[in-house]
Amino acid sequence: MMNIRHEQEIKQFRDLFTGEGVDEFENRFKILEVFLRIEQHVTIEELVDHLRQDKISMEPDFVKETMELLCEFGFASKLKLNNGPVRYEHRHIGLHHDHMICTKCGKIIEFRDEALEKQQVQLAAAYGFHMLQHKMMIYGICSDCLKKRELIISLARAKQGEHLKIESFAGGRKAQIRLASMGLRPGDIIDVVSTQGGGQSVIASGEKRFVIGQGLSRKVMVKYTEDSQSFGGHDIDDCAGVKPVKSMLLSEMKQGQEGIIARVGGHGVLRRRLLEMGINRGTKVHVEKYAPLKDPLEIIIKGYHVSLRVEEASHITIENIVRENNS
Amino acid sequence: MKQLTIALAGNPNSGKTTIFNDLTGARQKVGNWPGVTVEKKEGRLKKNGYDLKIVDLPGTYSLTPFSMEEIAARDFILNEKPDVVVNIIDAANLERSLFLAMQIVELDRPVVFALNMADLAKSKGMVIDTEKLSLLLNLPVVFTVANKGKGIDDLIDTAVNEAESFPDGKKGRKVIYNREINSMISHLVEELDRDFKELIVYPNRWTAIKLLEDDKVVKENLQQISKERAAVILKHSEEFRHRIEDLFQDDPEIVLTDECYGFIAGIVKETLLISSRKKADISRNIDLVLTNRFLGLPIFVFFIWVMFQLTFSLGAYPTDWINSGVSLFSSFLGSILPNGLFKDLILNGIVAGIGSVIIFLPNILILFFCIALFEDTGYMARAAFLMDRIMHVIGLHGKSFIPMLMGFGCNVPAIMAARTLESRKDRILTILITPFMSCSARLPVYIILAGTFFGDKAGSVIFGLYITGILVAIASGRLLRATLLKGADAPFVMELPSYRMPMLKSLMIHMWDRSRMFLKKMGGVILVGSVVIWALSAFPRNITFSRDYSKAIDTIKNEVSSQILSSKDKTLKQKLKNEARTKIAEIEKKREQERASKSYIGQIGRAVEPFFKPVGIEWRSGVSLIAGLVAKEVVVSTIGVLYGVGDKNDPDALKNALVHSGMTGLSALSMMIFVLLYIPCIATVTAIWKEASMNWAFFTLFYTTMVAWSASFLVYQTGLLLGFI
Repeated sequence: MMNIRHEQEIKQFRDLFTGEGVDEFENRFKILEVFLRIEQHVTIEELVDHLRQDKISMEPDFVKETMELLCEFGFASKLKLNNGPVRYEHRHIGLHHDHMICTKCGKIIEFRDEALEKQQVQLAAAYGFHMLQHKMMIYGICSDCLKKRELIISLARAKQGEHLKIESFAGGRKAQIRLASMGLRPGDIIDVVSTQGGGQSVIASGEKRFVIGQGLSRKVMVKYTEDSQSFGGHDIDDCAGVKPVKSMLLSEMKQGQEGIIARVGGHGVLRRRLLEMGINRGTKVHVEKYAPLKDPLEIIIKGYHVSLRVEEASHITIENIVRENNS
Repeated sequence: MKQLTIALAGNPNSGKTTIFNDLTGARQKVGNWPGVTVEKKEGRLKKNGYDLKIVDLPGTYSLTPFSMEEIAARDFILNEKPDVVVNIIDAANLERSLFLAMQIVELDRPVVFALNMADLAKSKGMVIDTEKLSLLLNLPVVFTVANKGKGIDDLIDTAVNEAESFPDGKKGRKVIYNREINSMISHLVEELDRDFKELIVYPNRWTAIKLLEDDKVVKENLQQISKERAAVILKHSEEFRHRIEDLFQDDPEIVLTDECYGFIAGIVKETLLISSRKKADISRNIDLVLTNRFLGLPIFVFFIWVMFQLTFSLGAYPTDWINSGVSLFSSFLGSILPNGLFKDLILNGIVAGIGSVIIFLPNILILFFCIALFEDTGYMARAAFLMDRIMHVIGLHGKSFIPMLMGFGCNVPAIMAARTLESRKDRILTILITPFMSCSARLPVYIILAGTFFGDKAGSVIFGLYITGILVAIASGRLLRATLLKGADAPFVMELPSYRMPMLKSLMIHMWDRSRMFLKKMGGVILVGSVVIWALSAFPRNITFSRDYSKAIDTIKNEVSSQILSSKDKTLKQKLKNEARTKIAEIEKKREQERASKSYIGQIGRAVEPFFKPVGIEWRSGVSLIAGLVAKEVVVSTIGVLYGVGDKNDPDALKNALVHSGMTGLSALSMMIFVLLYIPCIATVTAIWKEASMNWAFFTLFYTTMVAWSASFLVYQTGLLLGFI
């Protein structure tokens, strides 16, 4: 049945493209043929590969241009799933299907459920909404992946949208301090907001968002929570109850106290100066003393002494404050 | 002989200056960096058949365009392309030092690391694996202990070798940014390669990073090359900046700095071994006392007091020697030169002028020695730490205290020292109030006047004058900050370096630098000033006197000689001779005074008398104040000339002349306050002109005169009301 449909499409293609005076008809036709043969969602690269297997060598740009034309004329449609590259799928007129996308292996399952389709039309009608078309994508984990899934993985391997619980921190003391300084601790419930950006992942705990680099995220061990569907809401209260994150401004700290820099505020020259002197996020600070007239204060950072004004210190947020034992 | 240029770069307090001094000794040339008023030090060294030009870059923590020092350092490396950059790293501060180091590496010159003061680091329990550091960053690393002169030869050999191996520059190992930022950098690099190829001489990767950091100087450079093409690339870099902000939820600058420190943390982890056996931090223990809550300020005041005692009490001995020497020289010249205008010029114009200035050289040398001692030990930063709260009241940085303290020595270097301030407003404000710091050239005036009229209390009076200067500076600072120089002051984020044993050599060089500056000023401006003042007082030559002094003298002489002849008693003869001598001296002085009052300078003095009258300054002092515009030292020499004591052997001559001139304690005090506050010398005004602007220089002329007159008026009139005369 599919093949008959494809035959019809090839015929339509020929009529349309010659009628519209599109150039390089033969080459574009070859692309269409290969595209129709593949019963998958393909990217431009994959399509170029398939063409190569058929001993047809083509520039990716040309292939892309052709695919755009095919989309324009209704032979193909674009799909952008899970922030991945643009994929193309056949567009069979009058025949619609939806997708389930595995966030782990990227597998895409096409499905069609008449009851669901009907339900959608009804739903739209209930709102006085006239539905023209729709797209439905369900993100999740496919049965294969679910079987292979370990209970505890590193954050680096977690996928966008997952709802997890921090089990423990691996890695050295520095990494632990860094994470602690961000206000993350075992037992916290986190959501993976995004995994874009070159190995960086953005996670959320409570109302706070954190950016964690690839290296660091490998050291955070997380566990899937039972209730993987729940987002936000009640568990914020839960984690707040575990252990409150104690933070204060550097200017509020007392002589002899230590902590980790969580945030460097301020603007322009001040902020730049603080940064170049090594007063940056994640660095340990020890408040050495206040000047006799209580204004500039002296801190020890990265093993050396810096003085700064109380007013300037009020731009710096410190967490994990402890008092030095031996003083 | 092959020439090579070696640039020394490093953080402040990294021992850079010590290494520079070790390398070049006294063969230093001090100038300005082009376009910016930052001191540039150069020196030469001949070694192994190379003629090495050593350039001391300003000490900075990074190469952002936020301060003039940083711009000067970075432009030198970029534009002059030194054959090799020696980056001096404080071994005890490896992590922070590497931040600047990584920025220098970006500039694609061959770089050599000098790990300085490694002995100190070792005593703190830090061991650095240099081989690994060298391997990781792909550049040679040399150990130095600059204050003991260790490793300096090795450093030079390595630097020369590196320069010779990479004559076309060297691409060092750079900071590895994360994938996203890296792709943005490479995108911008590609674009720069395409659109600006061979147009920008700077490394493209560096330019790309600077674009992401929104560096204004780099952006302007691109715009100057081509407006249209710059617009395209700047649009892209702006998009990238937004993307970084979206991705990391933070400023691109912060993200890049974090990335850089992340990279550095990795290197430090690999190369630095901190043993748990931590020796007591001596510096910290010293600070337990010196910046103590209760002891800190009293100790600071004590140090300042000691500094003054050393400068002025100890300095009194060599001052006396010079005094006698000048007198001897003067009388020697007097005996060999024929009487006449020329002798007058030499003795009263030149010798007297220079003499009364050179006499205070010991004071200046000692004072600058003390200041250099403060700087080299690391106490200067503590002084700023202690004083910032107070300086902040004026709206100034604790660092402003340093130039202002220098102001006590000489305003000219002090105004130059204001360059360490980053914000232009802070700098101008410091420059404007520094002249109220009583410079050492004003001291001679106080010593003469206070010494003459206040006897034992002279010290307290002089101390009071210094305090008055400070108070006026504070008031002016507040006033200016609230009016002409509105705005927030610059951040006070300052390193408190470890205390260090000062090195005699460096103290000497420092002292010599400052003293040379003073001497240069003296030699040129003051000599001219002295001659001009002498000429003004010596001309016109043919004055019609109110009585015939020569005849009166002759009469006395004749009377005495006839009396001597008629008397037989030897003691009576002697007595008569002495009496005659005093009488003649009296008449001569009167003649001199009349002559002076009718000379050009006397005429000027009479003309401005109404201006000085309400403040109790008589015309001769008024004239000397006008002459003091040339340089404050000239005030004393002019007083000397005007009271006609130029060629007297008696060192107390000036004092006696003053006492007999009718000056009172009150008018002397008024005069001293005027000297303290009025227009600084021409050299200082010139410095203000150069460091701030011409308008600020004119503002200073007007403002200081107004302040001085008001203060003197207040003191003099209040004194009169209270019955002091």
